[in-house]
Amino acid sequence: MRRRLIAGLVLALVAGTVAACGSDKDSSGSGSSSGGVDKVKVGVIPIIDVAPIYLGQSKGFFKSRNIELTMEAGQGGAAIVPGVVSGEFQFGFSNVTSLMIAQTKNVPIKAVAAGVASTNVQAKDFGAVVVKGDSPIKSAKDLAGKKVSVNTLKNIGDTVTRESVRKDGGDPSNIQFVEMPFPNMQAALEKGDIDAAWVVEPQLSTIKAAGGREVASTFVDTAPNLTVAAYFTSQKLLTENADLAKRFTEAINESLTYADSHPDEVRQVLATYTKIDEKTRGTVILPKWPIVINKESVQTLADLGTKDGIFASSPDLSKLLP
Amino acid sequence: MTSARRGNPVLLGVAGLAGLLVILELVPRLGLVPDRYLPPTSRIAAALADEAGTAAFWRALADTLFAWALGLLIAVAAGVLAGLVIGSVPVLRALTASTVEFLRPIPSVALIPLAVLLYGTRLGSTLLLVCYAAFWQVLVQVLYGVADVDPVADETARSYRFSTWGRVRYVLWPTALPYVFTGVRLAASVALVLAITAELVIGAPGLGKEIATAQNSDAVPTMYALIVVTGALGVLINVLTRTGERHLLAWHQSVRGEVAT
Repeated sequence: MRRRLIAGLVLALVAGTVAACGSDKDSSGSGSSSGGVDKVKVGVIPIIDVAPIYLGQSKGFFKSRNIELTMEAGQGGAAIVPGVVSGEFQFGFSNVTSLMIAQTKNVPIKAVAAGVASTNVQAKDFGAVVVKGDSPIKSAKDLAGKKVSVNTLKNIGDTVTRESVRKDGGDPSNIQFVEMPFPNMQAALEKGDIDAAWVVEPQLSTIKAAGGREVASTFVDTAPNLTVAAYFTSQKLLTENADLAKRFTEAINESLTYADSHPDEVRQVLATYTKIDEKTRGTVILPKWPIVINKESVQTLADLGTKDGIFASSPDLSKLLP
Repeated sequence: MTSARRGNPVLLGVAGLAGLLVILELVPRLGLVPDRYLPPTSRIAAALADEAGTAAFWRALADTLFAWALGLLIAVAAGVLAGLVIGSVPVLRALTASTVEFLRPIPSVALIPLAVLLYGTRLGSTLLLVCYAAFWQVLVQVLYGVADVDPVADETARSYRFSTWGRVRYVLWPTALPYVFTGVRLAASVALVLAITAELVIGAPGLGKEIATAQNSDAVPTMYALIVVTGALGVLINVLTRTGERHLLAWHQSVRGEVAT
């Protein structure tokens, strides 16, 4: 009796395997349209920067353009560019330096809308370099020769930090950049493992609230109204489904405009996809969400990055930007 | 025999856990570790209660359990089948021995880039990691199990002209079964670890992703609350597999053993 049971169990397992292998194939939705509605997956990082797309979704800005939106919130942007190129996501959100790195490697992507921009206000931006309250570092030029953490090496964080130091009259060439995730930076700063941290919200608010001091508004220092990130898609989707790309851009632009003028609703929507507590949600510095990519500022990032050796060759913005 | 002297294992286990919780309450309260990085137990419990009130938490829990169960099922089925076939054919065994030893120690997390390329942040990514890690646990145990078959019993079955199926069914399978269960028990824990890891690193739906989101949001008590849930899942899975093993192998001397003597 028991042996028969076990034999049956094995059979069930095998059947389960076969079923599982079979069912996994058909779930790869690739912008398939059903009844005139396009199913669209967007690869995003679940941070404050992408609040407009969540807000726009709840406001129906995408639905009204026959787009059924799903957000695929991955940890870190590393998966987003390959995901968009492979067609796993139809659109993605990424900082412009990462997009330019991809462009110089001839990855077939193109920006379709602005993502997020600096507030352009010193000491009131969503990204900054911070130090411990009692640190001898008083301004950006003191960062020369010091250990500064960034979330990704050879990306936008080190470019803009170097530029802050340069603008303040310091020598950026011998800053030691250390890679670590944003949430770990506060502890590293307090333990003295690093001298300064390049952070964005909500960690920026948390560190300041614990007595940290801001020494450089790096995005503001780098260029006026710096475009920090953008929404992008693959060249393939642009040629095969230009209409979808156009409708997506329109919907995103409406979302960005709405978010920019309704900060209270932005703070509310954060509760739906992050776990930022209510107090912090009320006080974090929100970025700006203009609908135009500031090409001059992106060119500045391209030039600085080329000088620092982040890009293999000079990025061709005419191929990348809309 | 000495359960009185050793005390009730369940009670002792609970007492040990309670002791740990008290220590975790005291360490931050006494200022040994800043409570910003390790909140006291009471605050974690409050965060857990908050989480339990959200639909997202239960969906994440269900996603994790589904990925774990499906991954384990696939790994066990594949491991048992491959183990029985490879183990009972000496040529195959010699042919694959070095390959198995080569592939087995590769950490599943090394496959994350591959998983992301193939499946993005979907369930498939988690399954790939879970199956890879759990498969070897089962396969290797089954191979040991098959090698453990009593040659006299096997020869006897042959001389009685048992069919191949008959020998697998009455000689090989009963011998290998305790090994299979050991493999399943090991695989069940490993599968949970890998499911959480995949969600944490890749962002596939589940508890791991919720942990990462809490971490990115500076919601430290919530992060610990979710970590506690994964720990509890691990304990639960271990208890369940052990109970299942005891029931299904009640006839076998590895379980029956000392009671008879």
